Amino acid sequence: MKQAVYGLLLYLFLLLPPVADLLESIMIVHMHMQMPLLVAAGFLMGRFLQNKFPLFFEKWNHNGVPGIVLFVIIWSYWMIPRAMDEALTFQTVEWFKFFSLPFLAGVSLRDSWKKLTNAGKNSVLIYAAAMLLFMAFLYIGADEQICNNYLEIEQQTLGWGSLAIGVCIVIYLLQLLFIDQSEFR
Amino acid sequence: MSIHQRTLLSLVVIILFGGVLFYLSTDGFRAFTSESARTLDLMENNPPLPPVTLQDSEFRTFDLDEFSEDKYVFMTFMYTNCATVCPQMEMNMAEVYELIPPESIGKDIVFLSISFDPTRDDPETLAKYRTYYGSDGETWRMARAQDQEELDSLLHTLGVIVIPDEYGNFQHNAAFYLVGKTGRLLDVLDFTEIEEAAAAVNAVLAKGGE
Repeated sequence: MKQAVYGLLLYLFLLLPPVADLLESIMIVHMHMQMPLLVAAGFLMGRFLQNKFPLFFEKWNHNGVPGIVLFVIIWSYWMIPRAMDEALTFQTVEWFKFFSLPFLAGVSLRDSWKKLTNAGKNSVLIYAAAMLLFMAFLYIGADEQICNNYLEIEQQTLGWGSLAIGVCIVIYLLQLLFIDQSEFR
Repeated sequence: MSIHQRTLLSLVVIILFGGVLFYLSTDGFRAFTSESARTLDLMENNPPLPPVTLQDSEFRTFDLDEFSEDKYVFMTFMYTNCATVCPQMEMNMAEVYELIPPESIGKDIVFLSISFDPTRDDPETLAKYRTYYGSDGETWRMARAQDQEELDSLLHTLGVIVIPDEYGNFQHNAAFYLVGKTGRLLDVLDFTEIEEAAAAVNAVLAKGGE
């Protein structure tokens, strides 16, 4: 239960307007720090919900597939350049961000990840790597503004950041292929 | 209901939710960036342009609606210090100008480049700048807004976003704007597609109407 409290504290901290403004003022921090932290807050708070409604998760997310699909949908949604722009321009979209990332993505990731088979986990990682590399290609290569609220140079920084994360996931996936995992169990 | 049916049901609900979310937030998969959303919105709503007083390279002061009375206006937004997109846009604008039937120019359609850097782009600067692109200063005028508030309102209506950077330059979006005879926005055109833009303008000229 302790971690649910930490999750709540993290969530409340991220909700503070000065904190939100600061994190959103830098494009790469907005996408690769604020958003993952919101997911992490939901991930931690998920424990509380799992304890509170064990039957619900068991009934509707038995094998973890529906939950992880929800996570992937929400995460992909926030990769749309327009979504990120509109979070800054429209209050409702900003609210949706603070709701969807922790409670739809974070909680369902918490409940689903352990239930997934190895193949399921790897599919999610392959998708994430492909998405990040595609975003990197898009943001580094574009010679026009993709997000109207940010400068082009910030857009390229974000592209390189996405590339770095994408490459890390690819390295992880490759070592799964070439290194005997049973040695580490 | 068995556990498999329930899992399937929740999966279907989630995928439907995802579909609706993506559909609604991208205007039916048509606009994935706010720039394309803005253009789509402008073309669907044809907003009227707010009044704005301009001063051109010949020191003439005029109202936009007076200059454009009963004519179409082909418009761009730029600043003369720009080293990136503006020279290319103005160069392309010159090519579009060449592709319009000469008898229509000045009579049915006028060209206008508006600077969003009015402090530096005074008439002298604009007079020099216009010669680089072969603007005649009459049927294709280069002008600055007299009043910052009027300029902001015009930029806002057309969704032109201008962000000053720390080196005295601006980050901004760029497009060709075609304004109708009654002062409403008709079309937003890709400034890199010269022939396409000219064809769209010529089609409007041939058809007439507002």
